[in-house]
Amino acid sequence: MNTSLLVWIVLAPLLGSIASGLLYFYHIKKSKVSDIYFSLIGTITPFISFLITLSLFLRMLDEKIIFKQQLFTWLNVDKLNIEMAFLGDNLSIFMSMFVTFVGWLIHIYAVGYMKGDGGFGKFFAYFNLFLASMLILVLADNPIILFIGWEGVGVCSYLLIKFYYGKKENVLAANKAFIVNRVGDFGFLLGVVTLFFALGEVDLSFSSIEANLSNASDKLLVLSGVLLFIGAMGKSAQIPLYVWLPDAMAGPTPISALIHAATMVTAGIYMVARFHFLYSGIEEIGLFIAYIGAFSALLAAIIATRQTDIKKILAYSTMSQLGYMFIAVGLGFYSTGLFHVFTHAFFKAMLFMGAGGVIMALHHEQNIFKIAQHRASLPIIATTFLIGVIAISGIPPFSGFFSKDAILAAAFQEGQYLIWAIAMFTAFLTAFYMFRMYFIVFVAPNHHEADYVYTSKTITIPLLILAIGAIGAGFLNLPSVFGGNHFVDTWLGQLHSKHIHMDIVTEYVLMALSIIVAATGIMAAHSKYANFDVSKPENETGFIGNKFYIDEIYDSLFVQPTKALSTFIDKIVDEKIIDAFIMNSSIGFVNIGKKVAMIQNANVRFYAAFMLVGMTAVFIYLYITLGL
Amino acid sequence: MISLTSYAFVSMMLFSIGVIGVVARRNIFVIYMSIELMLNGVNLFLVTFARYHFNMDAQIITVMVISIAAAEAAIFLSVIILLFRSRKSLDTNIFTTLTQGEKL
Amino acid sequence: MADLIFIALAFLAIGGAIAMVVYANPMYSALGLLITMLSVAGMFALLNATFLFLVQIIVYAGAIMTLILFILMFLNIKEEDLPKEPNKYKFIILGAFVMIPLNILILKAVSKLPAKDLSISNTDFGNIKPLGLELYNNWIIAFELISILLLIALIGSVVLAKRRKSKLNNKGEQL
Repeated sequence: MNTSLLVWIVLAPLLGSIASGLLYFYHIKKSKVSDIYFSLIGTITPFISFLITLSLFLRMLDEKIIFKQQLFTWLNVDKLNIEMAFLGDNLSIFMSMFVTFVGWLIHIYAVGYMKGDGGFGKFFAYFNLFLASMLILVLADNPIILFIGWEGVGVCSYLLIKFYYGKKENVLAANKAFIVNRVGDFGFLLGVVTLFFALGEVDLSFSSIEANLSNASDKLLVLSGVLLFIGAMGKSAQIPLYVWLPDAMAGPTPISALIHAATMVTAGIYMVARFHFLYSGIEEIGLFIAYIGAFSALLAAIIATRQTDIKKILAYSTMSQLGYMFIAVGLGFYSTGLFHVFTHAFFKAMLFMGAGGVIMALHHEQNIFKIAQHRASLPIIATTFLIGVIAISGIPPFSGFFSKDAILAAAFQEGQYLIWAIAMFTAFLTAFYMFRMYFIVFVAPNHHEADYVYTSKTITIPLLILAIGAIGAGFLNLPSVFGGNHFVDTWLGQLHSKHIHMDIVTEYVLMALSIIVAATGIMAAHSKYANFDVSKPENETGFIGNKFYIDEIYDSLFVQPTKALSTFIDKIVDEKIIDAFIMNSSIGFVNIGKKVAMIQNANVRFYAAFMLVGMTAVFIYLYITLGL
Repeated sequence: MISLTSYAFVSMMLFSIGVIGVVARRNIFVIYMSIELMLNGVNLFLVTFARYHFNMDAQIITVMVISIAAAEAAIFLSVIILLFRSRKSLDTNIFTTLTQGEKL
Repeated sequence: MADLIFIALAFLAIGGAIAMVVYANPMYSALGLLITMLSVAGMFALLNATFLFLVQIIVYAGAIMTLILFILMFLNIKEEDLPKEPNKYKFIILGAFVMIPLNILILKAVSKLPAKDLSISNTDFGNIKPLGLELYNNWIIAFELISILLLIALIGSVVLAKRRKSKLNNKGEQL
């Protein structure tokens, strides 16, 4: 197997990041480096990764092999043996394909978006580092290396959210993202440790975990499954660890597009799919995952209907779609969930990039009503935006329909009718709020002549490429009902996912139902918002508008008590008890020393008296021992 | 009925009173005189044992002690004169330039 | 007879010592010491140490006490120069308590020795001739060293007490 190329998928963006970082240091310390260098490094390295992935993919199509590359032994302590190794099997290459492709396109987009920013080089250094971490995560051969990538994407997410660190809210949002992620990471790490002990301390690569799974007791497997999923909850913004995702929109739009739409948030689903051998055996946990996914999808959709910030609407829609993906992987339909990840990456990235284009054209205005009031004419962006909105609502023949419908069918087939009903209702809401956004931003009349604003090619061309993907990606996994070849399902056959086996009538009826539901949502949105008077904007009020006060509840439940505890420990335990103890001990010693120093007072008689007392003590001792 | 013990008693009394004088009194003259008293007590002891063992050595040592006491007297009294000149006082409690801490 | 003399001399010696320690006026202390020294001389005589009896009176009572009295009067001590000793009696009694163990120890040790008759003997033990022979034959080095010591003391006391002509503090007093 030609394995030497596998590591370069990760190394290319990593080296690009280091080079950009060093160049940026040079830029700020010595002499200015033109933006063009950073752009070149920033866009060529993901492209190299994509080319390598593509070549490996084509070889895998031909020869049905997998790639493994072991670099070195990282840790070898007693029974714990962790190799730094990369695994390029069907799942990894599948994820890597769209991560590098969409990543490459967004890097190109970012060149145009971040033009003129003072931290241009820093941005691309972080961005490449993010891509490298995501690829480490995806190509990892064992859960520890996956965790390295997991943490890496968390760190880069933090660094990029607070990119505009001049405004305090951005830094707070980044802190929130990192801290909430950390809670999830803790769960993930505990899960890996539990797995290590449950399996009797074997070598920890995925293949050996799969082989040794029978060693472990059921209870421990359930425990590790739950703990690993807690990590996924944090990373993929499901209930209850989702609160960071809307705030993360404080970062620049390219990172919202890449990190919080297409790649980092899908790491949770990838992880569950990667651990398919574990989750297939513990079906209750899978059901739990599916319910969490369903409720997250519902909650996010409800909140999104009242949001007014364009990026926040898209953030909640991401959370909602991630809920769908978890429904699929939770019920054992791993390839179906991953297919939705794949299509979602295309249309969500495209939606974010379009939103970014609109925001930039209107000078960083993010409120949809204000955007509507000062609308500019942006034809390409408007068209691609419309394509994305249609795709996400699940209208055939766009890609969103196939992937979403497969998930709905999966829920129905498993007999999980409650999940199915929630998912259908959420589909209605999805169509509703997405089209609400589209109508207000692009359609509602504002009695204003729209000026044509030029958008640069770096923005429009990636949008067009992604639009092709958004439209056409669905055909990659066309169900046999339409005479398709199930490409994605067969490609990901290693996961032993469940497949949809229904009779044709049921399948057609379900498909028709979902189309009707989506169309109803669109019509509801149209009736309310197509002719909305944008001069009277809606506000974020009421229970839904305030996001069910979840942020406030978390604040009073977790943040304030922790803050109070920290203040208590700082002011009272640290200052008054520990510090006081130490200071008083040392001061006490000094005082004792001063008292003892009074003996040396140069008064000779005093010395003589002391000597006398000493001698007397000796004499008494002699008297007693000599027994006179 | 004068035995060894009586002479020992007298000489120990003289010695003890000398020690008490050094420790208890502040006047430098009295301290000096107490030192001489101590030496006298020791001399008496020595002579007693010379007579007890019929050995001349103790008496010769006594002669030595007396001469040393004489030399010491000369120096001691010169130093008292110097101290009195510089401090105008005979109080030993104020001769404390070598102190480091607080004075008692 | 000798016993009575001894008891009288003992009383005088201890009485003089106590007087020396108790009185505040240094003249009285000096006189008390003088009495003690004379009594000790007497006890030397009772112990057959005739030469030492003479030496004690000549050197101690005659020279050293005279020197002390001379310096006392030379310094012209007034009442206010004397240190105030408020706790004198307390310290004396305290010191007495502290000295008791030593005394008991020594006296107990001494009383264990075999008793002998310490009356005045008729030999020429302690006369000047045997003592001189002993001193100059066996103890000659010590004798010479003592004389050097006395020389040093002589020079030392002259140097120490000399007035320095150069240094004057700002009151014009000799330092």
